[in-house]
Amino acid sequence: MPNWAMVIDLDKCVACQGCSIACRFENNTPPVKPNEALKGRAIRWNDVFALPVNPTEETGEYPNVKTHYLTRPCMHCDNPPCIKVCPVQATYKDDEGLVRQNYARCIGCRFCTVACPYGVRYFNWYEPAWEGSLQEYQNPDRIEGRDVLEGPAVRVRGVVEKCTFCIHRLHKARAQAEAEERDFRPDEYVPACVQTCTGKARFFGDLEDPNSTVSLLSKSPRAFRLLEDVGTHPKVIYLREG
Amino acid sequence: MSSPLTRREFLRLTAATVGSAAVIGTLQTLLAPQPTYASAGVLQTGAQETIVPGVCLLCPSGCGILTRVADGRAVKLEGNPMHPINLGALCPKGQAAPELLYNPDRLTGPMRRVGERGSGEWESISWDEVVEIVAQRLSDLRTTGHPERAVLMWGEARGQLPSFFNRFMRAVGSPNVVSRESLNVAAARLAMYLTQGIYDLPAYDLENTNYVLAFGASLLEAGPVPQRIVSGYSFMRRGRSTRGKVVVIDPRQGVSGAKADEWIPIVPGTDAALALSMANVIIRAGLVDSSFVNNYSFGYEDFPDESATTLIQGFKNFVLKNYEPARVAEITGVPATTISRLAGEFAGNRPAVAILPGKGGLLNGTIGGVYAAMAVHCLNALVGSIDAPGGVMTQRYPEERPWFSLPADPIAERGCRAERVDGAGTRFPVAQHAYQAVADRILDGYPVELLLLYDANPVYETPGGTRFIEAFQQVPLVVSFSSFLDESAQHADLVLPQPTFLERHEDHFIEGLGYPGVGLRQPVIHPRHDTLSIGDFLLKVAAAMGGTVANGFPWKTYREVLRYRLRDVGTDWETLKELGVWMTPGYRFARRGSEKWVNEVVGRDRRYAPRDGYFDFYSRELKCILDNLDPERLAALGLAEAGDAASLPHYEPTPYAGDEDEYPFVLNVITLMSLGPVSAAANMPSLQEISGMTVGETWGSWLEMNPEAAKKLGLHDQDEVWVESHFGRVKVKMRLVTALRPDVVNLPYNQGHTAIGRWAKNRGVNGLALLDPASEPVTGLASFTNTRAKVYRA
Repeated sequence: MPNWAMVIDLDKCVACQGCSIACRFENNTPPVKPNEALKGRAIRWNDVFALPVNPTEETGEYPNVKTHYLTRPCMHCDNPPCIKVCPVQATYKDDEGLVRQNYARCIGCRFCTVACPYGVRYFNWYEPAWEGSLQEYQNPDRIEGRDVLEGPAVRVRGVVEKCTFCIHRLHKARAQAEAEERDFRPDEYVPACVQTCTGKARFFGDLEDPNSTVSLLSKSPRAFRLLEDVGTHPKVIYLREG
Repeated sequence: MSSPLTRREFLRLTAATVGSAAVIGTLQTLLAPQPTYASAGVLQTGAQETIVPGVCLLCPSGCGILTRVADGRAVKLEGNPMHPINLGALCPKGQAAPELLYNPDRLTGPMRRVGERGSGEWESISWDEVVEIVAQRLSDLRTTGHPERAVLMWGEARGQLPSFFNRFMRAVGSPNVVSRESLNVAAARLAMYLTQGIYDLPAYDLENTNYVLAFGASLLEAGPVPQRIVSGYSFMRRGRSTRGKVVVIDPRQGVSGAKADEWIPIVPGTDAALALSMANVIIRAGLVDSSFVNNYSFGYEDFPDESATTLIQGFKNFVLKNYEPARVAEITGVPATTISRLAGEFAGNRPAVAILPGKGGLLNGTIGGVYAAMAVHCLNALVGSIDAPGGVMTQRYPEERPWFSLPADPIAERGCRAERVDGAGTRFPVAQHAYQAVADRILDGYPVELLLLYDANPVYETPGGTRFIEAFQQVPLVVSFSSFLDESAQHADLVLPQPTFLERHEDHFIEGLGYPGVGLRQPVIHPRHDTLSIGDFLLKVAAAMGGTVANGFPWKTYREVLRYRLRDVGTDWETLKELGVWMTPGYRFARRGSEKWVNEVVGRDRRYAPRDGYFDFYSRELKCILDNLDPERLAALGLAEAGDAASLPHYEPTPYAGDEDEYPFVLNVITLMSLGPVSAAANMPSLQEISGMTVGETWGSWLEMNPEAAKKLGLHDQDEVWVESHFGRVKVKMRLVTALRPDVVNLPYNQGHTAIGRWAKNRGVNGLALLDPASEPVTGLASFTNTRAKVYRA
C-alpha cells in the first residue's frame, strides 16, 4: 500500500499561485462573490500566503526585512485531528494515508474546520454558483456511489470540502493500469498542483518506498513540517529556503 | 481474533466491556480509522475526452499548453511538457484560461455604433458588411493618394502576425504599424541595440550561471518572459549540484526580491550609477575579461577621433573618473561597501549574468532607463558574458519561408515613405515604435482616417490614456479587434470580436532560450461566438480590395498563411499540430570574432555604425543618431551629458513630473503575476480573487507604502487614502509593506477598468491615470516611472 506524501521546496517556489488555480479548475472549487472573498470565505484548497500574514506585525526594520511565502495544501496528517471530531464519518483516513471527505455524509457541523490547525477545510456558505457560461468548464470527474460523493463532484450548500490530493486522478491512473492489464506504479499519479508547479517545487509520491523522491527529500536537512509539535504528523513536508 | 492483542485493541476492549459501556463503545466505533463504505465509490468522468495542444497568450511567455476537452467542453489546461519555456508547468493565468473562453461578457458578434461615440449603442452587422466597409475605406485612401492615413496599432502579436501586419499595411501603402513595445520592453531592446547591435531582448543562460544580478527586472513576476525565467531560476537554485546566487536590485522587494539571496533597495532611477560603479570596482580590481574587452569591444580604452589628433575618453577612464563607489553611494543609497562587495562577487563567480530591466522595475520609461540598461549590459561585457555559457544569449528564430515579393505599386511605395504617425525615427530619433504618442500626434494634426486596434486598449493601458478618446474623435473610422468591449472598443465605430487563443490558428515563437522554436495554437473547441480572427479578416479585406493588394495575399485563411510560412520550420504541419511545438534545441555559442559572431551575435542590426563584431562600450550607433540631429534638436532633448559622453552609458538624473517637496513619493505601477499585463485578465474572477496575495487583499486595488513613511503621515494600515499627482488623483486602500523604500509607493496594474465586463468594471483604480502622459523625447518611450505623488487621508 502506498503512503502518499508531498514535498514542497520553498527555495524553488516563486509564490505564483499556479497551484491554487490549478486546484480550482481540477476540483471545481466554486468562485465566491467579491464581498464573501473579503470576509475570507474564498475556497482555495491550496492557498498561498505572505508571511507574516498581518503586515503590521513586527518583522524587523527596513531594509533588513524579508517576506516569506508559504503555499499550503491539506497536510494529509498521519494523525488527523479533523476525523476525530466528525460525528458522521464523513471524513476519514483511507488505507493509503489520504484524508478523505465524503460530501454525501457531511452534515455541515464544521467541527472539522475548527479542529484542523492548518485551516485547510472550507465550508460552503452558499449554494456553489458559476455565473452564466462559466459552468461549462466544470470538470466532469467525480467519485460516486451509494452514500458516497467525493472528488471534484460539485458540492451543495452546507458541506465542508478540502484538498483530496486529487483522489480522482489516483482512480484514473489505477483504471488506466487496469485497462492496460499491468500493475499500477506510484509514479503514475500526481495531484494537479504538483503537475502545474511553475518552479518545479513540488514532489509527490510514496513514502513507503525508501527510494522515492519524497522519501529521499524528506530526509533532507532542510526538511520541516508545519506545527510539528502539535502531533498531527503531516505528510506534506517542506524544504526551507536558502 | 487470531493475531495477538495490541495495546490499543486491549484498551478498546477494556473500555467497551468494563467502562460505561454504551457511551464509550459508540465513541470508539466513531473513532474507527476507516468506515466500511470506503471503496464503494466509482470513478465517473467525461464520455469523450481529447487533449489538444496549443500556446497560452495571457502573458508574453507563450507557454505550451495541453487542453483537456471533455464532451466538447474545454475543462482544464495543463502545461505541455514538450514545450521548453514551461516544461509542463503553468501559472495561474494559464490555469484560469477557461474563464476567458467561457466568459459571459465576451462579444458575440460584430457590431456597428449607432449612437454617439462612446454612447454604448450598437447594432449587429454581418462580417461581409464589415469587410466591405474596411475594404472600401482602404481603397478610397489609395485612390486619394493617402494610404498612409490608415494606421494599425497592436498589443500582443506573436509569430507571423507582426510580419503579416507589416506586409498588409505595406501592400496598402502605410508605414503605420505601431507596436505596444514603447510601453514595456523597448528600453531593454534599445540598450541591446545600442551596445551589442541586436534589436531584441537578450536570452539568459540561467541554467549555467553562478551569479544573477537583476536590475529592477521583476524577474519572477512580470519580466518579458516570466515563465522562462522561473524555469531557469528553479534549475539554477536546486536542479544542479551548486546553487546559484541571486541579487535583486529594486526599490520594492516583491516576490523576486523576497526569493533572492539579497535585496538591494535602490533609490529609484539610479540603477545606471550603481551598475557603472560596479564596473569601476571591477576595472580597478583587474577582474575584467581582458581578452574580450581588448579584442572584441569598441570604446573601452580612450581612442583617437576621426582626425586622429585628440583622444576621446573611453568607457574605462570615464567610469574610473566619475563612478567611485563612495560618490555613487550618495546617489543610489547603496553603501559603498555593498557596491564593492557585489561587484567583486559578480566578477569573481563567473559565469555571471546581469539581467536587463523589463516592465515592472523602476527603470523603464526615460532615456535614463535606456542608459541604465546599457550600463547593465556593459557589466555582462566586462565579465565576458556576451554569448557565453552562463551569460547572455542572442535569440534566434525558426527559418521561415520568405514572403513572395509584393507586386510593384507606386501608390503604396509613395505612401510607405510618409512620416510615421507615432514619430518613430523622426520626432523620436532612437524609437522604433511610440505607441502612446499616436494620440498626441493625431491631436497635433497628423491626419488619420482609419485606425485599426488589434489587442490594443490604449485608452486604458497608456499613461493618461483618456486623451486617446479625444484623438479618436479626429478619426472617421476606428475599428477595434477584441474579445471584450474594452475601454478603447467602447469608443470605436466597429467592434469585431476575436476568437480567444483557444479558438484560433496562430503560431508563437519560443523566446528566452536562445535557440529557435515555434509553438502552434489551434482551436480546441468550435469557436463559441461569431468571431473572425484578424488574420482571416485582413485576407478577406485584401480579396475585396482586389488589384495589387489582393495579388499580394492569395491565401484564403490565416491557417494557409501559417502553412506557407512554416514550411521550412523543420517539421510538417501534422506533426506541429500533434505536438503543439517544434524547436531545434541546444543553443550554440558563437566563437568570438567568428563569422557567426559577426553576422548573428554582435552588430547584426546596426543601421549606421559598422557591423564589425565589436561590442560597443561607446555606442557608435547612438553617436551617429545624435550627430544626425541638428544642434537645436539635440539641445532640446535635454541630455545631461553632452558631446562624446552622451554615447557612453551614464547616469542621467530622472526628470520627475512633480516637485519633491510637494509630491514626496515616486509612484510605481507594478505588474502582478496573477493579473498580468492583459486587460481581459481583469475580468477573470479567479485571478481577481488571488490578485492581492502579497498583502492579503482580494478583488481590488491597494496602495503599498512603507510603515515608516505612513507613520510620518499619520496613516495606518487599511486607511482609505488619496493618491495624487500632477495629473490626477485616485482613492484607494493603503496597505503597509515593510519591504519597500520609504520614498516609493506602488499601485498594482490592471484594475480600475471602466469597461470589459462585470468583474473588471468599476473595481479598484487605474494607476496609469496618474502618470505623466509625455513621451520621452529621444526614445519615444512612455514615461512610466518618472511621476511623483503625494498621499493623504481620504
